[in-house]
Amino acid sequence: MDDGTPTITRRTVLAGAAALLPISAIQAAPKAPATALSASARATLDAVISRLIPNDELGPGALELGAGNYIDTQLVGYLAAEKTAFLNGLEVLEAHAHTTHAVSFAQLTAEQQDAILISIEDKNFPPVKPFFARLQRLTMEGTFGDPFYGGNRALAGWDLIRYPGVRLAVAPEDQKMDHAPAPSHRSAYAAASGEMNHGH
Amino acid sequence: MAINLRPVDVALIGLGAANGVAVLPLARAGLRIAALEAGAWMKPGDFKPDEIRNNVRHQVTTGRKVAGEIPTFRTSPDEIARPAAQYHNMMNAVGGTSIHYYANHWRFSPWDFRARSETIRRYGAGALPAGTTLEDWPLTYEDLEPFYDITEYEIGVSGKAGNLKGAIDPAGNVFEGPRQREYPMPPLRSTDFTELVTAAARSVGFHAHMSPAAINTREYGGRPGCVYHGYCDTGGCHIGAKNSTAVSTIPAAMKTKNLTIFEYAHVTRIVTDAHDRASGVLYIRDGKEYFQPAKAVLLGSYAYENSRLLLLSKSKAFPTGLANRHGQVGRHFITHWASRDRVALFPRDLNLWYGAMGQAIMVNDWADDNFDHAGLGFIGGAGMQVSHEIHPIAAASMPTFGKTPRTWGSAWKHFVHENASRWTGVFIQCNTLPYENTWLDLDFEVKDPLGDPVCRITSGPKDNERRAAAFVAAKAEAWLRAAGAIEVITPPGAGAPPKLSNHAAGGTRMGDNPETNVVDRWGFAHEVPNLGIVGASVMGTHGARNPTGTVQALAWRTADRLVKNWKSIAG
Repeated sequence: MDDGTPTITRRTVLAGAAALLPISAIQAAPKAPATALSASARATLDAVISRLIPNDELGPGALELGAGNYIDTQLVGYLAAEKTAFLNGLEVLEAHAHTTHAVSFAQLTAEQQDAILISIEDKNFPPVKPFFARLQRLTMEGTFGDPFYGGNRALAGWDLIRYPGVRLAVAPEDQKMDHAPAPSHRSAYAAASGEMNHGH
Repeated sequence: MAINLRPVDVALIGLGAANGVAVLPLARAGLRIAALEAGAWMKPGDFKPDEIRNNVRHQVTTGRKVAGEIPTFRTSPDEIARPAAQYHNMMNAVGGTSIHYYANHWRFSPWDFRARSETIRRYGAGALPAGTTLEDWPLTYEDLEPFYDITEYEIGVSGKAGNLKGAIDPAGNVFEGPRQREYPMPPLRSTDFTELVTAAARSVGFHAHMSPAAINTREYGGRPGCVYHGYCDTGGCHIGAKNSTAVSTIPAAMKTKNLTIFEYAHVTRIVTDAHDRASGVLYIRDGKEYFQPAKAVLLGSYAYENSRLLLLSKSKAFPTGLANRHGQVGRHFITHWASRDRVALFPRDLNLWYGAMGQAIMVNDWADDNFDHAGLGFIGGAGMQVSHEIHPIAAASMPTFGKTPRTWGSAWKHFVHENASRWTGVFIQCNTLPYENTWLDLDFEVKDPLGDPVCRITSGPKDNERRAAAFVAAKAEAWLRAAGAIEVITPPGAGAPPKLSNHAAGGTRMGDNPETNVVDRWGFAHEVPNLGIVGASVMGTHGARNPTGTVQALAWRTADRLVKNWKSIAG
C-alpha cells in the first residue's frame, strides 16, 4: 500500500514460502567468508568444541557440524567486539596446555583436555571461566542455530535434538505429543545468489 | 536552531503498543496528528523463524535509539548502577513492542484496581506490605470495561469469555470481571499437550483455560489466522496474524488521512509555554532538529522512557523535570515479578516446537485475591501459564535435572538427544506493587549518543512478592506433577527479585492526588493539562498477567477523553 503499510495477502504468504530454499542451494556458496582466527587459534578452538559436543556413536559433534566455522566467521562479523577477549581466552588455554603438558591443547588426549575444561569450570583455573561459558554458549549457537550463520551443517544439529525444523505453517497433526513431524531440513532464509550472508 | 514545523492538533511521542491504539479515536475524530516514532515501518519479509535473530541477538527492531538507552540498575542508592545485563525488551518500530511481544492479551482483575482498599477491608491495614506506596487506581474495572471491549475488537483478540455479563464459563477465565461481549474470535487451537495440562490443572482443583491473545484465529481485519509456526516469541509475524498496532489500529487511523507518521524521529524534549501548557515536541531526524508545535501532546514511549523524557524536559518552570513539581516522576516504578519458577522433565516427547507463546494454558486460582490469604504473609499472588513454543538452542540448553554431571560432553549429548523435546516450565506472573525503595531517575554516569543520561532503576527487596512467588511456585509444581512430570526443579535465579522483566510499569502514575501521582484519572498530567501519558507507566499496580490489554484500554480511554473534551484540554 502506498501509505507504507504492509499488504499481507495469500500471495505474500506464498511468496514467503517460496523463499524457503532447500539446504543444497545454500551450501553452493561460491566464496569462503572472512575469518578471525589464526590456524593455531582455530586448532585450539576446534579441539575445545570437539570436547563440548563430541563426535560419537550418536553422530557428528560441534566440529563436524560447523560450530567452529560459525564462531570464526562471526568474530569478524556480529561478534567482532568480542574478538580480542576471545583470542585472549584461547591463548590462556593454549599456554596452560604448554605449561602443564608441553604440547598444544589440540595435541592433548581427550581425557587431558576434559580435565582442563573441568578445572576451568569448577575451579576457575586457569582463570578463564567467563570465556569458557561464552565459548560454550557460542558452540550451542553454532550447532543448533539456523545454518544461515555457518553452523548446523546439513541441519544435523537439529536432527541431533530431534527438532523437526523450520516450517512456515504448522498443521494440527504436527503439534501432537509423542509424534515426530518429518524434518523439514530447511533454513529460514533464501540464499538469492547462493551466497551465505554470515549474519548481520 | 530547530526548524519550526506547521502546528498540528496532537503530537504523539512514540507509535507503539499504546499510542498505536490512542491514534485511532483521535484520527477518527478529525484531529490532525503528527506521530513521531524513533523506528520505522517493518514488513512481513523482515520477520524470520530464526532463533539467533529474534531471541539471541534481538534484531527485530529498527534504528538505533534503543541500543543507546539501556537502563542501568542497582538495588539501593548505596550501589553504583550498572548496565542491566538482562534483556530490556524494548524495540523501536511503527508498532513498537507490539511487533515482537507474545500477544497474551488480558484484562486486569477488578481487584487490581482497588487492591489497597480491598486488602484493608478483607485483612486489615496491617496486611499491607511494609514500604508499599500502593493506592487504589482512580478508576474501577467497570470504568475501563467499555475500553477493554472496544480495543479487543479494534485490535482483534481471540479468546473465550469466562464471565459474560455474570454467566460463568470455565472455558474462559472464571475469575475475570464481567464482560459485556464475547471475544471477537475464538481462542487459539488446543493440542493434546494443552489438553493434558488443562486436565492436569483441573485434577488438582485449579481452573485452566486457553490464554486470550491478540492473535487471529481466523481471518480478521483482512489478515489470516495464525499458522502456529512457533517463532512468535520476540519475533514479528510473517503473515500479520499477530495483531500488532502496526497491522491493525495504525492502518485504520491512516485511512482517515488525518495522521502523518515521521519515522526515525528521535524525540529529545517536550516543550512548555509560560502557562505550563505543552507547546510542542523537539526531535532530531536525518541529523536536523525540528520543533513540532501541537495543541496537545500524548507521550507514549516505553515505561522507562516516559519517565526519562519528563526528567530530561527541564525548564525554569519545571526545574526538576516536566510535571515533576511533587517529585513523583519515576516514583512507584514496578518491575513485574515474573519468572519461570518451576521447570519439569517428562517421560515423553511434548513436541512444543511449534505453536505460539499465546497458545498457553492459564491458571488464575492463585492470583489477585482469588483465595484466602489469612496467615500467609503476603497479598496478591500470581497467574501461572504453560506455553506451546520452544526453539532449538534454548531447548538444547535445557537443565539436566541432575541426570548428567556436566552440560557438555558425550553423556550430555545423549541426554539432550533424548530430552530436548521432553521439558517445559510454568511461568508465574505476580501481582506486583509499588514501593518506596523502587524508582526511576537519571544516571549521569552513563550517557546516550546524544549526551543525555540514560534511565537508572533503583529496585529494593520485595518480601511480599517473594513470598507470593514461592507460594504459587509450589502450586506450579503440583500442576506439573499432575501432568506427568518425572522431575521438577527450581531453576537458578528463581525466587530472586528480577532486575529487568518483560514488563515495566509505573513511573508516571495515574491518580487523583497530585502530590502522589503524575497524571490525573484520565491520563493527563496534573501540572501540564494538555500533556497526556499512555503506556504501562501510568499503572499503579501490575496485575498477575500480561499488561498490554490494559495499556491499550487505558490509551483508548485517554484519547477518547481528549476527543470529547478537546476545547477544555487543548485550549
